[in-house]
Amino acid sequence: MSVHHDTLEQLIAAAARFLPPQGPIDSFVALNPLQGFEDMSFDEAVIRASRLNRSQPFLPESEYRDHLASGRIRVVDIESELTHDLGSRFDSPLAGGRTTLGQLQLQLLLHGVRLENDAAVRWTLTESDAIEHLRDDLDPLSRTRLLESAAADANPMADAAAHGGEALEDAVARDLWHACVESTVGSRPSVVHVPPPIRHRDLIMAVMPTLDTDALVHPLLIRMVAAYLDQGVASWPMPDRDRGLLAAVAGVYSGRLGPVEAWNRGMPSRLRDIRRACDRAAMSSSNPRAAALDVIAEELGLLGIPEDHWPDYLTASLVTLRGWAGMVRQLEARPDRAPVEALPARVIDLVALRLVLDRLAVEWAADRLDHAPARDDERSPGAFLGELWLELRDRYPPRRGPGSVARAFLLFQVAQLVGLAGSDIRSLDDNALHEFEHAVAAFDDIARRRLFHLAYERRHRTEVLDSLAAYRHHRRQHPTEAIRPRFQTVFCIDDRCESFRRAMEELCHDVQTFGAAGFFSVPMYFRGIDDWHAVPLCPIVVRPGHTVAEVPEETARDGHRFRQTLRRGLGWLQGGVTQGSQSLIRGGLLTAVGGALAAIPLVARVAFPRLTARLASRAAELGRRRIPTRLEVTRRDDTRLTNGTLAGFSIEEQAGMVRRLLEDIGLTTNLARIVALIGHGSTSLNNPHESAYDCGACGGGRGGPNARAFALMANSPWVRQLLGDAGLSIPDDVVFVGGMQDTCTSTITWYDTDHIPGSHRSEFDALRRLGLEAGRLDAQERCRRFDSVPLDVSAGEALRRVQGRAADLAQVRPEYGHAGTAVCVVGRRDATRGLYLDRRSFLVSYDPTTDDDGRVLERTLAAVGPVCGGINLAYTFSRLDPLVYGAGTKLPHNITGLIGVMDGHASDLRTGLPFQGVDIHEPVRLLMVVEASPERILDVLDRLPAVKPLFSNRWIQLVSWHPETGALVLHRSPAGTVAFIPYVPESDALPTASSSVAWYRGHRGYVPPARLLAGTVPHAHAATSIP
Amino acid sequence: MISLNALIRDPFSALVAWQVIAPPAALVAIGLPALVGRPLRERETTRIVAVAFASGFIAALVTLATLASQGFTAHVVHLGTLFHVGHHEASIELVADALSVPYVCFSTGLCALVNAFAGKYLHREPGFTRFFALLALFGTGMNLMVLAGSIDVLFAGWECLGISSALLIGFFHERRNAVDAAVRAFITYRVCDVGLLTASVVLHRATDTGDFAAAFAGTWPHAVCTLPPATAPVVGLLLILAALGKSAQVPFSGWLPRAMEGPTPSSAIFYGALSIHAGAYVLLRCGSVLDAAPIAAWLLVVIGAGTALHAATVGSVQTDLKSMLAYASMTQAGIILAEIGLGFRVLPLVHVVSHAILRSLQILRSPSAMHDRHELAAALGGPPGQSSWSLLRLIPPSISRHLYHVALERGFEETIVSRLVVQPLLRSLAAADAFEQRWVAILGGASRAAVASRDPRPANGGDAP
Repeated sequence: MSVHHDTLEQLIAAAARFLPPQGPIDSFVALNPLQGFEDMSFDEAVIRASRLNRSQPFLPESEYRDHLASGRIRVVDIESELTHDLGSRFDSPLAGGRTTLGQLQLQLLLHGVRLENDAAVRWTLTESDAIEHLRDDLDPLSRTRLLESAAADANPMADAAAHGGEALEDAVARDLWHACVESTVGSRPSVVHVPPPIRHRDLIMAVMPTLDTDALVHPLLIRMVAAYLDQGVASWPMPDRDRGLLAAVAGVYSGRLGPVEAWNRGMPSRLRDIRRACDRAAMSSSNPRAAALDVIAEELGLLGIPEDHWPDYLTASLVTLRGWAGMVRQLEARPDRAPVEALPARVIDLVALRLVLDRLAVEWAADRLDHAPARDDERSPGAFLGELWLELRDRYPPRRGPGSVARAFLLFQVAQLVGLAGSDIRSLDDNALHEFEHAVAAFDDIARRRLFHLAYERRHRTEVLDSLAAYRHHRRQHPTEAIRPRFQTVFCIDDRCESFRRAMEELCHDVQTFGAAGFFSVPMYFRGIDDWHAVPLCPIVVRPGHTVAEVPEETARDGHRFRQTLRRGLGWLQGGVTQGSQSLIRGGLLTAVGGALAAIPLVARVAFPRLTARLASRAAELGRRRIPTRLEVTRRDDTRLTNGTLAGFSIEEQAGMVRRLLEDIGLTTNLARIVALIGHGSTSLNNPHESAYDCGACGGGRGGPNARAFALMANSPWVRQLLGDAGLSIPDDVVFVGGMQDTCTSTITWYDTDHIPGSHRSEFDALRRLGLEAGRLDAQERCRRFDSVPLDVSAGEALRRVQGRAADLAQVRPEYGHAGTAVCVVGRRDATRGLYLDRRSFLVSYDPTTDDDGRVLERTLAAVGPVCGGINLAYTFSRLDPLVYGAGTKLPHNITGLIGVMDGHASDLRTGLPFQGVDIHEPVRLLMVVEASPERILDVLDRLPAVKPLFSNRWIQLVSWHPETGALVLHRSPAGTVAFIPYVPESDALPTASSSVAWYRGHRGYVPPARLLAGTVPHAHAATSIP
Repeated sequence: MISLNALIRDPFSALVAWQVIAPPAALVAIGLPALVGRPLRERETTRIVAVAFASGFIAALVTLATLASQGFTAHVVHLGTLFHVGHHEASIELVADALSVPYVCFSTGLCALVNAFAGKYLHREPGFTRFFALLALFGTGMNLMVLAGSIDVLFAGWECLGISSALLIGFFHERRNAVDAAVRAFITYRVCDVGLLTASVVLHRATDTGDFAAAFAGTWPHAVCTLPPATAPVVGLLLILAALGKSAQVPFSGWLPRAMEGPTPSSAIFYGALSIHAGAYVLLRCGSVLDAAPIAAWLLVVIGAGTALHAATVGSVQTDLKSMLAYASMTQAGIILAEIGLGFRVLPLVHVVSHAILRSLQILRSPSAMHDRHELAAALGGPPGQSSWSLLRLIPPSISRHLYHVALERGFEETIVSRLVVQPLLRSLAAADAFEQRWVAILGGASRAAVASRDPRPANGGDAP
């Protein structure tokens, strides 16, 4: 087998594209699980992906029907989407012009039919009176038409007369049924050729369902890969990991010692060959990838896969354990993101190993199918598995269509829906009938769910866009230069910050809030005072070039050293107990003697979680408070650190970052005396997915340090000097201050408050109180989503509740994260301020009036498109299929290797979000409203080739909101292009409420937008409470 | 059958009896509405189970105090007689003594804690009611087993434990792995139950009753075995067989790491705390049999120590938290059995309680591993080292690689058991099946040719279990 290595590399790289993009779980970033499909349109991609991953492309039809019944989807939504989807085909005639394709699909969506096989239909016919009456959910129009056309026919009239007048409808039904039976009788069930699967395993299971080769291979393969990738759970690591997965596993498993199972008898000798090949490669210091590629080519040959099927075969093989394979791929691409130890992980090693095991299992299975090579068979070894493969593909059973009774029953139901009576059916010739039946069959389960999904999204879109359009008349005037806001706060764009900002604005009419990506344009590695290494705090696509460290103040050096010694001692003790309790002798002593002491934390943590947490945090704070710290933001010299970065930023770099952020959010004039930057993070206990609730713009880290660094830079006189020289003057009385919002406990921690000058102290104290008060309102608003909190909870109690949840070991829903996220508004806050958006909107500050050339919009969309789109799609897919795209329920999760979670003891790595985080999420694509003209958006997207597919392929619903006219223009076009159509609001009614609390009180579910009065006038109740 | 009057007259007996009545009462209270299709609400369900366990716990504490004031003399509560033939009697008896009462305090307390934990942990989970019903069944079994005064009651409790454990392992029955693991645990339990059942028959034959009082004279831990010298080793060996399965000792340990398929709280009480020590408890209860049968005692020491060594080695290469904790539990269970075999009585009891509490905390906290690890690394100024295996660095890599292979493959325990026991058994069953089918066919009048053409070979006999 002499296939060029490059070809194989390309094939594998192409296959690996479809793997989930999730990295190690300690820096969880919500990304589109179908990233590899982004070059296709959304609809096509989800359906293609559902075939590859055996996943659900949309919600189940029954769920959409429930939404239809509850009014979450309206008939007008279905009609509108159907009209748009079918275009001119909507009116194409069917059944000899008696109905249209659009009518047929509409009726099928609105009413639904029962699709059953022959046996089930026979049961229905004998056990129910389905064919005795007309359906009672018929559209009145269809009913009238049925009766009218029946009236012109003698058959049912005579029948009805025999049964008495009121039985006309039943007579029509019976006649229709007879017509349907007549027209389908004697027809053979259609046979649909199904493309056979490509892996031997699936082909074998089609003929012998109990013979699952993956059930043999997976436990072993998972053990091998998990042992290789482990970041420190096992106290005894796998030997030779630095040589790569294949060489390390071959080294361990090639021994002659120990029995093997029946199916993998051939493994040790095969691995010995591989080990020798790897050794040779290492000795001659040639490319370490060559050995794995040789193995792959050889195994594909032994498996007998024809070369033109290699791409599909490799893809199918990789995605069967997509979690593990995806993790290998991520660690190969970004070894620096490994939590502890960077490893030479390679996807090709995994493929090689997988193919070796697969081939052994298939050979064993072939033997069980009585398909083994004869002893004297002299053909190449791959020939006999290849034969098996071809034979099983030939024998792969076709799918049989419904039988004649089932067809008759389906026709009977559909005919009623579109108003075809018995006489109409009889009058159809074979072609017309066939065409009609074909149209029904073509509108299958997936097609119906797709349309339902579009309608589901349309209702949400309409609700939001209508309210935006209506709110335009109420929005506040742009602040003039003359009025200087009291505070300006810059939050992350995060949807969870929306309620916090809204609460602040409701409480204080002269606060101005902004939204910027939560790393505040400061990409850095950060090492906190207690951290042992620096972690990146910036979007994952960026590799920062600088490291900022937190160090103790000069005066606190001794205190810090003492504390460190103490901590090290305690840590040593704790580590000793944790590890010791697992070992033999120390464990015996420890558990026998001191184990009972664990009763104290056990009882305290389980029975009194809130109290315990308060005591623990009090103790921790006591230790920390005595150590004042500062950030080493400014670079002293240009030597590089061990991670290859520079220690701190130069003054020019600092000025550049400050300028960039202020320009991005349009805050270049009229700065308040206090400008606060508030990053966010989330603290919760017993939650492997904790980092999923942190800041996405900080790569799954916490944005506090970025805010703190930014404030330091913006306060620096040298930086201001440079900025002033470049035309961006920051008045001397402006003070920047950094903070961090904990989205789980709804509190803000402020940094470097001792550096705030005396002149600003009282102002800052007012801001701090405002933050506290807003936190209580934020907690109250969050609590309405938690089933276990009463709906009438007070703000104070709500704050205690959310803080208790964060500290509770047993709590699987410490916070709901981004659940619900559906909207992103890129524009000025004035356009949405005072509008209740229910924590579902990313709010990105962007001022179109100061962005003449579109440069700001360009970098804004380049950042928020993938970030917000990624978050929304991660939640949406985790909700659409919690088992494949989501991580399933948290209850059996088992942390493995410190990189991910498995279900139980040996499963695929679970990617995506746990069901407990998405169970209330509404899976709709992000609706991104950009305050810019369509032309400007088109122009900007053309400059962003990497981001454009997200919009052009409709992974994000894009809306242009004209900055001057306020016209909303919707991007709706065939895939691959960008074109806009004007949006016509369905209604201009916008409810009004006195405050957010008044509007959402008493509701658990989602609440539509409303106009809020609180905070619009200076004398609102809260203004007095914030002096 | 159960003499209620006696209970009313004697408040101490009533207290003891309450501990085996409360959990099944809770099971009925939450199970019945669910059976008729109207399950209770979450809050009511957890409250009922909490009341049962909490009241049981308080009753146990009062019992303990009373017993302590009386100097830990055994107190037998006779609940009734199951049947009575000649001299032969099977009675329902509970015993409150220095072993059972402290143990029941601890087990009921732990159940109550796990109940409080699970009430929040399983919020909105589809199997909510089922979980709490199984937890109540588990508590029933545990208390019956611990307070049993006769081997019949002990067996009843033992079986409740077994079935509730298996069902909770398979809690997520829509997942194949979970069901496979549950079936494996169930089969292991059943095989080992043969030991307990046979021991019970032997005891009945030897003493004409199942009461422990008839077999062991004196109060625990100073009881003396009064069985005939020929019977004691038989009973001892049979009880050891019973204990090996529940306590996951070699060669029956394969089910334990796989059992981590259920929700975390159930893992905590089964494999960390209560279920895994059930075997140790039975051997403690019948400890005097081991004193009278040194062969059995030494066998127990060998198996216990061997398992401890095996599990400690295998545990050190496990890369997921729950498997690591499972092997850590197995190590300690092995040590505890060895202690019992060496003739200790109070030490293993303390060891069981102490270990169970520590391990439950560790398992309940296991989802925090990332967090804890981070804190630890921060405190130590770097990732915690692999200090405990420093000895390994002295072994040449070529040998340590083999050792690692053995540990990662869990000592080949499963392959060996499968080769030596399971596959021959399956093959013989298949042969018997074929034989039977052939003869049925022949007797039924089918032609020989038609019979020969049938191939009764099982589809997938090779990879089980």
